[in-house]
Amino acid sequence: MLEGAQVLAEPAPATKNVVIEVDELSKSYGSNKAVDQISFDVREGEILGFLGPNGAGKSTTLRILAGFLPGDSGRVVVNGCDVGTDSLGVRRSIGYLPEGVPVYPDLRVEEYLRFRAKLKGVPRRNRKRFIDEALEATQTTDRRKQIIGTLSRGYRQRVGLADALLSQPPVLILDEPTVGLDPEQVRQFRQLVRDVGKDRTVILSTHILSEVELICSNVVIIAGGRIVAKDSADRLRGVVGSRVSLLVEIDGPKDAVHAALRSIDSVQNVDVERASDDDEVRLEGVDASGKASSAASSYFRYRVLAGDGMAVAEEIWARVSSKGWKLRLLEREVLSMEDVFLDFVQGGGAS
Amino acid sequence: MSSTAETVPDTETTTAEASPRAGVGEGIVGSIVASIRRTWTIFLRELAAFFLSPVAYVVLFLFVASNGIFFYVQCLKWDGAAQQISLVVSSMFQFAFIWILPLSPLLTMKLFAEEKRTGTIEMLMTAPVTSWNVVLGKFFAAQLFYTLIWSTLLLFVFVLEVLGKPEGPDWGQVISMFLGIFFLGTLTNSLGLLASSFSRNQLVASVLALTGNLVLFAMTVGAWYFMDVPEILRIFEYVSFQSHFSSDYFRGVIQIRFFVFYLSFAGFFLFLSMSLVEARKWR
Repeated sequence: MLEGAQVLAEPAPATKNVVIEVDELSKSYGSNKAVDQISFDVREGEILGFLGPNGAGKSTTLRILAGFLPGDSGRVVVNGCDVGTDSLGVRRSIGYLPEGVPVYPDLRVEEYLRFRAKLKGVPRRNRKRFIDEALEATQTTDRRKQIIGTLSRGYRQRVGLADALLSQPPVLILDEPTVGLDPEQVRQFRQLVRDVGKDRTVILSTHILSEVELICSNVVIIAGGRIVAKDSADRLRGVVGSRVSLLVEIDGPKDAVHAALRSIDSVQNVDVERASDDDEVRLEGVDASGKASSAASSYFRYRVLAGDGMAVAEEIWARVSSKGWKLRLLEREVLSMEDVFLDFVQGGGAS
Repeated sequence: MSSTAETVPDTETTTAEASPRAGVGEGIVGSIVASIRRTWTIFLRELAAFFLSPVAYVVLFLFVASNGIFFYVQCLKWDGAAQQISLVVSSMFQFAFIWILPLSPLLTMKLFAEEKRTGTIEMLMTAPVTSWNVVLGKFFAAQLFYTLIWSTLLLFVFVLEVLGKPEGPDWGQVISMFLGIFFLGTLTNSLGLLASSFSRNQLVASVLALTGNLVLFAMTVGAWYFMDVPEILRIFEYVSFQSHFSSDYFRGVIQIRFFVFYLSFAGFFLFLSMSLVEARKWR
């Protein structure tokens, strides 16, 4: 159903070291292909958003990256260590926050982090400082004596995050890190990741698009185990941010109108459908000459997908009036990132 | 390529830092020290988990209570004759011996099953630890807690030591029984650990381990079918740990070959557990 990965634009020229390299990675559970030949690179200092609907293969990929699951085929290199042959080296250089934040419920926050610090080989002289810093960064200092099992979901999430940050690893792998956080905590988390991301490489998965928009420098969109888009977040944001859909109802020769609309700069697509007479336009329709229009059946409804909404709306008005056609509806539909995302995921892509 | 060159030293510093005691320029020694340290960390955490878990306390309570009652009854029957002290000790151990079947399964069932059920195994195995670190850390914790539980029997022996004067209990006999139980524990605990790494359900794990224990325990029963074939009979008697205890440890006889037998089984089960953890096929 899905064609190969769609690259919106050529990746930026290589300036920084590749820290995470995924090459043709596949993983199946039985006959179910969870991850199907995906490839991507993450460079030093990048914050990569791993975006996709539930069951797209995000967690599986991150688990393989973190050395928890073996891939079936393909190559994964993290921080210079191959996941297949030097899993220990990989695990030494990552901080991993699994989905659902499994932490020992019977320990106190501080005890847990001390255990993890020892496990991660944080030298004794740094242990206390690193724990303090991780607690500080995740704003859990006030809960350090509390038993993890009694913490709220949001705090548990933060403990997991503190654990990931604990050994101050060069690579952070965060699986759905903002699930369970309240909006204020999400905001703080974003700030945290941005701070941390200045000198580390971060890869985080999410199905919340605004998160990617706000935090990530790069985005990989995955669906059905395959990469459907990968690009810098700026470019994706550009694609999405200014894109609007305008709903116009015009009385005029269908083909001519279509051609006129299509020829406007930055218009990407025009769909036509017959405007239904039953479809009452509540707002009084106004035609080009300013007279009240009778809702004649010669009206067609055009959905105009354009890069720059305001300019296009003006241009539509100008063209319609110059040709003497009638216009009874000009409405801007909010095109959310979700629409674009769904576009990608459903295999259509932004044409 | 360049990333490899740049980042690898980073990793090495972390390793070196992880084992500052190993000194400078350490290679194999340093990594062994680091590995032992990781095992020790897991061991301590698992030991703490025993003391934080209600199951362990319930087991400990039942163990002490049942043996206490039996000891009390034994003492009531005891007419004070000095030569019977060793008989009291021996019968107490024989009564407590029934615990050999459920004790290890109850203690070890959670070791992996719980981690898999709650998903904490993912946190554990994505830390820079080897499967051996995890398996051995957990095993030693279980073994120590097991030994602690059995040690409560020594309380009763001490009571006899104090009250049974001038003749005390036969400490040689006590030590032989205790050693037998300790080494047998390496087998049953590693079997329990293996069962726990099979399943994410603690109940399933404990039933599996209990079944394994029963099979090994009841080998003598199987031997009855081979009364006519002494070679097979000997094998059965050799494997069945029940016969080791009744014929040797309870009489104060220590047979090193049985310890070797238990330990080699323990090593085998631990190896299997490690392989299962390594395979990580549970998702």
